[in-house]
Amino acid sequence: MSAKGGAVGVHARALGLGFLLPASILVVWQALGMASGNPRTPVPTHVVSSAIDLVASAELPLAILQSLMRVFAGFAVAAAIAVPLGLAMGAFRSVDRNVDPLVESFRPIAAIAILPLAILWLGTGTAAAVMIVAYAAFFPIVVNTVAGAKGVNPTLLRAASTMGLSRLRIVRTVIVPAALPAIGVGLRIGMGVAWTAIVAAELAVGAKAGGGGSGGIGQMMFVFYAYSIELNRIIVCMIAVGLVALALDRLLRLAMRLAMPWSAT
Amino acid sequence: MGEAAAYADYPSVRTRAMRRGARSVLVYLRTMAVFVVVWALVAHLKSNPVLLPSPLAVMQAAVDLARDLELFYHAWVSFARMLVSLAIASAIAIPLGLAMGLSRTFDRIVDPTIELLRPISGIAWIPLALFIFGVGNALPVFIMTYAGFFPILLGTVAGVRDVDRRLIDAARTMGVPQRTIVTRVVVPAALPSLMVALRLGVATSWTAVVAAELIGAPSGLGYAVEWYRELLMTPQVMAFIAMIGVLGYVCDRLARLLSDVFAPWASR
Repeated sequence: MSAKGGAVGVHARALGLGFLLPASILVVWQALGMASGNPRTPVPTHVVSSAIDLVASAELPLAILQSLMRVFAGFAVAAAIAVPLGLAMGAFRSVDRNVDPLVESFRPIAAIAILPLAILWLGTGTAAAVMIVAYAAFFPIVVNTVAGAKGVNPTLLRAASTMGLSRLRIVRTVIVPAALPAIGVGLRIGMGVAWTAIVAAELAVGAKAGGGGSGGIGQMMFVFYAYSIELNRIIVCMIAVGLVALALDRLLRLAMRLAMPWSAT
Repeated sequence: MGEAAAYADYPSVRTRAMRRGARSVLVYLRTMAVFVVVWALVAHLKSNPVLLPSPLAVMQAAVDLARDLELFYHAWVSFARMLVSLAIASAIAIPLGLAMGLSRTFDRIVDPTIELLRPISGIAWIPLALFIFGVGNALPVFIMTYAGFFPILLGTVAGVRDVDRRLIDAARTMGVPQRTIVTRVVVPAALPSLMVALRLGVATSWTAVVAAELIGAPSGLGYAVEWYRELLMTPQVMAFIAMIGVLGYVCDRLARLLSDVFAPWASR
């Protein structure tokens, strides 16, 4: 980072200021929780001990792993359809004109709205969850891929066709490399949406399918809510959801930087 | 100016534009027609009206639900919840964003807390919020407010930061007081970014409402979809899903309209 002389002091002070608010929130929360007298009220110390319990018993890591597997499966399906489709739409006007109405008609339908249909078609297990994730991740990937493929510098396209390259070759050698950064952004957004969608899907399945054994972190949260009323554990799960979201985003950013060192994102 | 007007009236230019508009509508209709025909064929082959009802059955269900006003009732409930949520989210996020954008120190105090909370999606709050608020109006409103809050806040902060320093310096040189600089220079300059943020807020909170209503509300589109699934009335389920899409589209259009009205200079 910035290694200038005074910068370290400024950094430390900024960090101190940043800690002020979260720390005071934690203290007030702890005080209020202890004052309420209800042993169910979650307080930071109990959240920490619940977190240790859940991690030590491997319950939380296993649930996260199961959710992650679904996210990766759904995400892979979405990317496998959305990237080629988006490239075709961006590169060929006729494809774009004919397919775009379909994409735009389905895009405003929130992924969770499809869940009842997914349950109807695929049951309450992994398949329905994967379908929701794929649906959710599909749209950001396709939209960004189209934008990337359309945004290719027209001079490059003209140069390529002047040199007599076939349309397909232009797609492969000009459009795809130029659209890669936009595709990367789409994949990153898609991954974020996919993670949100899996939590929602598992929660809803837990809530509506009588807590059937779908597993995953969303399901786990719902069980803590509905059956064992352990608010401390719910908060642990919320924090875990946030941490995984952050980790996924960082991971994809890193992957993009390694795959495309020329684009600075 | 006269020349431009004459050019716009030039018949071939106008008719060409009109023809292009008409053609894109035609292409749209053609694509959707193909979609409906394929759907009808698959439904016919499957011949299982619970798993996949025909487009006609869904149409019929939609018409019936519209005639009962049930479709509009649930749509209105969801829409009203979103308006309330976005109003609350904006009322907190916009002043907070202004303050964070204007004051480095304030930003340093608040920003880490925001960044700690932001990765936790609104949907992850549902179980806890369900416990606190119970099933009812408060839960979806809370979830949507939370979901809409972050995009609006971040957009406001970015908008304020991007205000041209020279504009502020110019105003200051002319002796304009700080308050007036904020209301007359910073806010108008940040408005386009704020409007984009509001549109993002609409999109995220709309996604969240369906999940929140599906799990913990006695009314609204999300509730209706799940209710009819439990009754295995698939045509109704699909009609409500279509309504979610239509209303989502309308909300996005409304947000764009808002942007055109309040920040007409932001439109491309």
